[in-house]
Amino acid sequence: MSTTSVSMKAAGDQPELRRSVTAWGSFAWGYSDVGADIFVGLGLVLGAAAGASNVAFLFAGLVYVCVGLAYTELAAAYPVAGGGQYFVFRGLGDIFGFIAGWAVLLDFTIDIVLFAWSCIDYLSKLLPVLAFTTHPWTHFAVVFLVIVGLATLNVIGVRESSAFNEIVSGLDVVSETAILFFGFLFAFRPEILIHTMSTSWPSTFNLMNGVSLAIISFVGLESISQAAQETQRPASVIPRTSISLILTILIFALAYSNLALGMQPWHPIPLDAHGHPQALWQYLGSEDNNGAAVQVLASLVPYYGAIAALYVPLLGAILLLISSNSGVFGSSRIAYAMSRAQLLPSIFQRVHSKFRTPAVSIAIFCGFAALELLFAALPSLSKYFNGVYAKFFHGENGITFLGDLYAFGAAASYSFVFLALISLRLNDPDSPRKFKMPLNIPMRYKGRRVEFPVVAVIGFLGIGSILVFTMITHAIGRIAGPSWLLIGVICYLIYRKRKGYPVFRSRPHDWRAQQMKILQEAGELELMDEYVANVKASDARAAAATQSPS
Amino acid sequence: MSLEAEPHLIGVVLALCVLAAITATLYWMLHPPTTKAEQAAREAQTELAEMLGSVIIIFSKEIHSEHMTALAVRIARRERAQLLAAYIIEVPLTLPLRAQMEEEERYALGVLATAEAIARQKGVEITTETIKARQVSQGALDLAKRHDAHMIVLGSYREGKYSGAPLGRAIENISAAAECDVLIGVQGRKAVVQQPARVAPEQISY
Repeated sequence: MSTTSVSMKAAGDQPELRRSVTAWGSFAWGYSDVGADIFVGLGLVLGAAAGASNVAFLFAGLVYVCVGLAYTELAAAYPVAGGGQYFVFRGLGDIFGFIAGWAVLLDFTIDIVLFAWSCIDYLSKLLPVLAFTTHPWTHFAVVFLVIVGLATLNVIGVRESSAFNEIVSGLDVVSETAILFFGFLFAFRPEILIHTMSTSWPSTFNLMNGVSLAIISFVGLESISQAAQETQRPASVIPRTSISLILTILIFALAYSNLALGMQPWHPIPLDAHGHPQALWQYLGSEDNNGAAVQVLASLVPYYGAIAALYVPLLGAILLLISSNSGVFGSSRIAYAMSRAQLLPSIFQRVHSKFRTPAVSIAIFCGFAALELLFAALPSLSKYFNGVYAKFFHGENGITFLGDLYAFGAAASYSFVFLALISLRLNDPDSPRKFKMPLNIPMRYKGRRVEFPVVAVIGFLGIGSILVFTMITHAIGRIAGPSWLLIGVICYLIYRKRKGYPVFRSRPHDWRAQQMKILQEAGELELMDEYVANVKASDARAAAATQSPS
Repeated sequence: MSLEAEPHLIGVVLALCVLAAITATLYWMLHPPTTKAEQAAREAQTELAEMLGSVIIIFSKEIHSEHMTALAVRIARRERAQLLAAYIIEVPLTLPLRAQMEEEERYALGVLATAEAIARQKGVEITTETIKARQVSQGALDLAKRHDAHMIVLGSYREGKYSGAPLGRAIENISAAAECDVLIGVQGRKAVVQQPARVAPEQISY
């Protein structure tokens, strides 16, 4: 662990971030966030989409590829901390920047509690006293303590070092590759896969539910963009690390889901609660195991499972803890950035006098996370609330409750990123893009040659459909998600009105000067030269156009 | 109780595909294209490696390279260059070139023994040579040519006042006429000049 703090220079100056993140470091930042998702997502998707879990992962994976390509292009063109919130703020204006940022904040707060929850689920495989199903109060108390602990560490400025992130990520990539390699090598049976898919194909409703949950296995690519300002040669490195992360996660998700549906387990699967035999996917998707499905699957791999059973719970728990911590760090950082852009009140900029960390933001968003934990755990803690949830929320609780909200937040923020990308392609063609999404249509917009991104439209439709699936299939996501956005927008409007800022319109921004500064600080001097040349050519064309009619 | 575990052909293919795909992806990620600045840095490194095939440290009455020896040894070790320490005795025109100059020859042995000790401490092979020449600069230049030297290392005292050739006439001549790189180190104001070890001639091995 290392001690870091957001050091503030003179009032009004941006804190300067050192460019120390290498290509592997950038990948590790993203992987420690996204890589943890499959530990949570696999069990949830198997529980919902049954024999079509691989199809659910494929659909969500294709959308995720589009999302990843969009983030890659934007993070390489605008290498600043802030990620999706900044792209939307720049592309669509202040109010949409706020909404996207607010949706990302929802995701980050759920990130904190969901991964802390799952971290304890994985540890419960080593310490059964922590199991949620048998000891809900203990589980609740430990998850709560984890959240409080992470908040405290973030306030005093202690977080995992990049080197620690890199080591854990490296170990996990090797571990997951080994699990899949030995799993396919010794236990995969295509006939079991075909049989499971044909006999356990879910209803359309459950498939939509599965797809909407599968997207949570791909959330967190944001972290690479978040660390863009600290990455060496971001315009060159980020496209590679992003694409590699997309491919790695996609390979893992598709491989895990197919293995879970077509694997001959090394040990017999226990009977279910009613004494009936159950398939592997049912066992992994059950309430007992859906929080730690990767660990259970790994332990059933022939030969290698004996080793995996010993270390995967611990490795998974560490990765999940890092991911939970990235939620604490990310939420405070986004809130800080939004506050600086006058999208949130200045209280979110307040830093602790001693530790120089955004303590207020950390406390507020960890408080939200604790509240979400309470809502998720209530039905297990009280019979009365169990009845209430059964009546109003289809009995959704625990990790499913959190998964619902996570899917909503991710789908909402990703939708805006696609729109921002289209807007920036049309309105800011001068910014050099070292990486561009494929399939672009050249066209003229406001007298300038631009390229319209077809993949962004496909991605928007894909993520839009997942958002609709989430709204249709998740009672909690349908109510709590939009409520979060609505409350946020109301607060935003009140804040802007009270401060005398434009309520629906944007405040004036000098994007050209900002882009020059961004590229200069990124050390992308060749891109900066290209940007200056583009701007000059653009201005010359505009001047010629105004003179030519006369 | 464990069940049967028999590899299936499709399973084997998929296992290898997963392994290959992850390895290839990470390899590609870790080898991004280089920038112009990085290319220039790489070329400079290559040139340096080529340049430092052999390094010669020159000593004489006028050239005091003792304080540069440690640096030359480090350079030679890092770049795996051949290292030669040479003491050049300037023989006056009034004497034959092979004339005995006992006092200076003894001094030269001490200087070269110190250089050898420094190199040995760092695990670098060094050859030493004492040369007699009419002029130190010409002797050094001839030596550099004979050994196809890539760098000549010279040391000088910091002169307190301008004397027309503040680094010494021999150093000025060598640096002006040398066909290879010349590294001149000027002793810092607070530094103490290394004194050659007092070694008996028979103790020195060549």
